[in-house]
Amino acid sequence: MKEFQPLPARPAPVKTVGAVAWMRENLFSSIPNTLTSLALLAALIYFIPPIIDWAFISANWTGTTEDACVKEGACWVFVNAWSYQFFYGTYPAEEIWRINAMIVLLLIVIAASFTLPKHYRLKVSIAGWLALPVIGVAVLYGGFAGLDVVSTDLWGGFTLNVFMAAASIIVAFPFSFLWALGRRSQMPFIRSISVIFIEFFRGVPVLSLFFMGSVMLPLFFAEGTNVDKLVRVWLVLIFFMSGYMAEVFRGGFAAVPSGQYEAADSVGLSYWQKILLIILPQVIKISMPNILATFVMLFKNTTFLLIIGIPEVVQTLQSALSNSYWLGGHALEGYLFVFFVFWVSCFSMSLLASRIERQMNTEKRD
Amino acid sequence: MSAVKSSAESQDVIVIEKLNKWYGNFHVLKDIDLRVKKGERIVICGPSGSGKSTTIRCINRLEEFQEGSLIVDGVEMIDDVKNIEMIRRDVGMVFQHFNLFPHLTILENLTLGPIWVQKKPKAEAEAIAMKYLERVKIPDQADKYPGQLSGGQQQRVAIARSLCMNPNIMLFDEPTSALDPEMIKEVLDVMVELAEEGMTMICVTHEMGFAKKVADRVIFMDAGQIVEENNPEDFFNNPQNERTQLFLSQILGH
Repeated sequence: MKEFQPLPARPAPVKTVGAVAWMRENLFSSIPNTLTSLALLAALIYFIPPIIDWAFISANWTGTTEDACVKEGACWVFVNAWSYQFFYGTYPAEEIWRINAMIVLLLIVIAASFTLPKHYRLKVSIAGWLALPVIGVAVLYGGFAGLDVVSTDLWGGFTLNVFMAAASIIVAFPFSFLWALGRRSQMPFIRSISVIFIEFFRGVPVLSLFFMGSVMLPLFFAEGTNVDKLVRVWLVLIFFMSGYMAEVFRGGFAAVPSGQYEAADSVGLSYWQKILLIILPQVIKISMPNILATFVMLFKNTTFLLIIGIPEVVQTLQSALSNSYWLGGHALEGYLFVFFVFWVSCFSMSLLASRIERQMNTEKRD
Repeated sequence: MSAVKSSAESQDVIVIEKLNKWYGNFHVLKDIDLRVKKGERIVICGPSGSGKSTTIRCINRLEEFQEGSLIVDGVEMIDDVKNIEMIRRDVGMVFQHFNLFPHLTILENLTLGPIWVQKKPKAEAEAIAMKYLERVKIPDQADKYPGQLSGGQQQRVAIARSLCMNPNIMLFDEPTSALDPEMIKEVLDVMVELAEEGMTMICVTHEMGFAKKVADRVIFMDAGQIVEENNPEDFFNNPQNERTQLFLSQILGH
């Protein structure tokens, strides 16, 4: 009998791979495409060198006062001189190690969630994420073990943005999961409560929520109690965030095939075992891009705190811009700096998220 | 009421009486009566929409029914969560689309039930899992994820996953319908082996060769009713009902 021999694989034809083929296909495939490519190239050649010149070559890098800015480029001295306030607000300089320690702790927890051996990674990282806000608040506020109290109206700068975002995301995450479950519930009471909650917090502007948090919420507290402004804003962020995240999760729940629920049932798992062991991991995997989008949105929304007078980074920048020693018009440099720190943080979050997606992707054949 | 066991029924592991089910106003199951003895192998066939899958999905409560009674191993299927859980622990199910858990390895898929439902220690659960993986002839795939396996391998894992729970009854819901022709045999081989070991089985399938080979009884359903049931020989060679004849001529006609 004749033996079947598959043909050996051959490399692709030369014309379809490599840089030249790529350019021919993507940049110069037709006359309109070629014209567009050339026009864009010209624009880049025209605009890029002046920008580089302004930002780097004729920029002012050294010095401590506005008088040091003699060259016509960017005055990075401004950013440099205010960098402490931009990052830490008015937090006392001798206590800065606390903020730095918490940032390091945050990075350690993030790293641990990815690098620990698989069989205890989940337990350790959940414990880490839950402990983080508690430890964070305790250490930053102080008042125990010889740590001086640092009142929350001294907190500020970019680290406050990070702190508020992290603290609300960590709490909102499990809550939004429960709201999404509630919205899918068969029980009319639980379902209506969830729908009302979700639709309210998705349907009102976050700015009005912040005003409500700082002006109206105190009316609901018992007389004489003075709830910290940051705590009120934190609650608002949590509610706002969980309204959005609940819908993200709901989409994820709907996308898990019904066969998964049935298989979990037929194995005999209880409701919560089914949800936590089978459904939730798949929901998180499906929703990862949207979860990240919500995180980034919330993180950037923390700059809105400036309108109720909380000295986060943009508020600090504005007071720096109106400082009488720095009236030379450094708004461009200042805002570029804010863009830069936010962009670096958000981009790192995307990189992390795509790493999680890759880790969770079990479909690939080896 | 919750746990009925009488001596007359002790041979019957499944007793279905006058079972009726509606989807809204649509009457999907009409007066289904079915008794299954211990160790009996039953094949249910019929055109799509005839209610055959719905019938077996009622047995482990993936579907609710509105009228009639269903008793599995002496436990009556009622709204009580305890009864439902007791029955589900007793009944294994294999689905058309395998429904393995894609985020867990093969081994984790198999040990999930023993660890979380039967509360067995992890090492024991893994030993059981490996035993059944060997029985379905893929122990070397234990650390892979379902997405890395072929359809036939996935379905064999699904069978092993059910067996790990040590069920008394196995339900098969068109287990080979989603498979490539070359993989159907490897799944049927496992099922035949299982049948030879005396497992009580109810299979919804169109594999008539399988039905002839292992079934004690073949049931033909149409329009939510049991039209005919008989031993395989008489069922295929001498069908009594016109509808059955038409169905058999359609599926065996070429």
